[in-house]
Amino acid sequence: MATVEQRVRSITAKVLKLDPSEIRLEDNFTEDLGAESVQSIELVAMFEEEFGIEMDEDAALAVQTVGEAVEFITDVCREQDVNVEQ
Amino acid sequence: MRLILVDRSEEIRRNFYPIALSRPLWELRCGISSLGEKLIAKTDAGDAAYFVPDYMAEAHRAKVMHPVNDLSVLKGDDVLIVDPLVKAQDFNIATGGKSEVGIDQDGRILYARIIKRDLDGTAVNDVAGLLEAARRKFPNVPCTFRRWQYIWELILANPEQLIEDFAAVGRSGIEGTIEKPNVIRGSSKYVYIAPGAVVHPMVTIDTTDGPVYVDEGAEIQPFSRIEGPCYIGRRSVLLGVKCRGGNSIGPLCRVGGELEGSIIHGCSNKYHDGFIGHSYVGEWVNLGALTTNSDLKNDYSIVSVMLDGRRSICTGSQKVGSLIGDHAKTSIGTLLNTGSYLGAMAVIMATGKLLPKFIPSFAWFIEGIVTKGFGKKRLYETAQVVMGRRGCNWTAAEESMWEAVYAMTAEEREKAIKKGRRTLAANKE
Repeated sequence: MATVEQRVRSITAKVLKLDPSEIRLEDNFTEDLGAESVQSIELVAMFEEEFGIEMDEDAALAVQTVGEAVEFITDVCREQDVNVEQ
Repeated sequence: MRLILVDRSEEIRRNFYPIALSRPLWELRCGISSLGEKLIAKTDAGDAAYFVPDYMAEAHRAKVMHPVNDLSVLKGDDVLIVDPLVKAQDFNIATGGKSEVGIDQDGRILYARIIKRDLDGTAVNDVAGLLEAARRKFPNVPCTFRRWQYIWELILANPEQLIEDFAAVGRSGIEGTIEKPNVIRGSSKYVYIAPGAVVHPMVTIDTTDGPVYVDEGAEIQPFSRIEGPCYIGRRSVLLGVKCRGGNSIGPLCRVGGELEGSIIHGCSNKYHDGFIGHSYVGEWVNLGALTTNSDLKNDYSIVSVMLDGRRSICTGSQKVGSLIGDHAKTSIGTLLNTGSYLGAMAVIMATGKLLPKFIPSFAWFIEGIVTKGFGKKRLYETAQVVMGRRGCNWTAAEESMWEAVYAMTAEEREKAIKKGRRTLAANKE
């Protein structure tokens, strides 16, 4: 199974139409990757679907970078007893 | 005699969602006034009191002068407890007389008249208990009063009700201002322009199919065509609107474009072009430019509506437009299907395609799917701004009521969000 980081990169690439190799952990979704507000919502929905989790929308939309998203999703998976590859 | 209106059954209330999510049933409008105002006028009661679902009691209490969910009103005076869905024109029960209970063929209590002396001898813990005690204790009178069953019945009855209400109010003539040139087509005795209302030049008022009532402080701007029967509420502004017959527009609305056979509660905006027909629009709604609904299917078949997101209900009518809950907002170019349900606080960002027929309350419809969007906190912040613009406050009681609505509508919303996520994921593959 792919790691959380790989899966986050893959989803981010799909939603923002980027090459996964171009995405760095320190990239800010809005400023570096060009995510518009609607795409932020799509990203939240896609992460929830990918990992089978429910995220609080305020907390999820407060996440700024790809690395923070990996951490945040890992935490949510732990809280909701979803097994993921670290 | 004290009139008491009781609205405590969630099962019945569901048939009037999304508009009834945030108000008791008697505040629904049909014709010139609300169902409650008609019942109060019909019974000529000196006093009124209300029993509403607990979650909206505090918010409702702040809006009305009468007691809300106050058991003390069940003592000290003769009472007439009435099902608020009874059609006022049918209700012909004298306020005086012995205690009795009116029951329909399904065994439902439509009214209970209980005189003070009998009331004092009846133990009262709640209004439902009082009604059941009255059923057992006092004569049961069979009655055949018609009741409103579903929200779209109010839309369909609106033209006829407007004509009845205009006759009942008994006003006619120009007490406001009509600036020339303008045209009243048909009899001018079916026009009432209230004090402070202004009709600009180049407006046509057509009374050939019914009366036109323009309430205090309303403003009708040039190139509007107002076909009766029609009611335009206090301080509402019509902006070059094509107002077809059968519309009731509440107070403080802004309406442009084309409107037909629809009911709009107060403080809602449909400022720009676009057609809304045979629809019921709540309070604090904003319909973006070119928002348009279908009210007639291409095959002229009967329209069905989903009130809960699961089960379609046949309306029995070829013409039903949209049901749009309080604080809903649509973007430019929104296209609503025939018989659509747009939940309260829903936000629509249109894609150019017809919307699904059921959008849950508090849903953010973005890129063709229902999402969590920016959450309810952002919706509350927007509501606060919108209400503030009209000098109204978003109160703690209001927020508490909406929190309850959010919880009540969670299941249908979560189901739609999950479906949306699956669709989005499939589309991104």
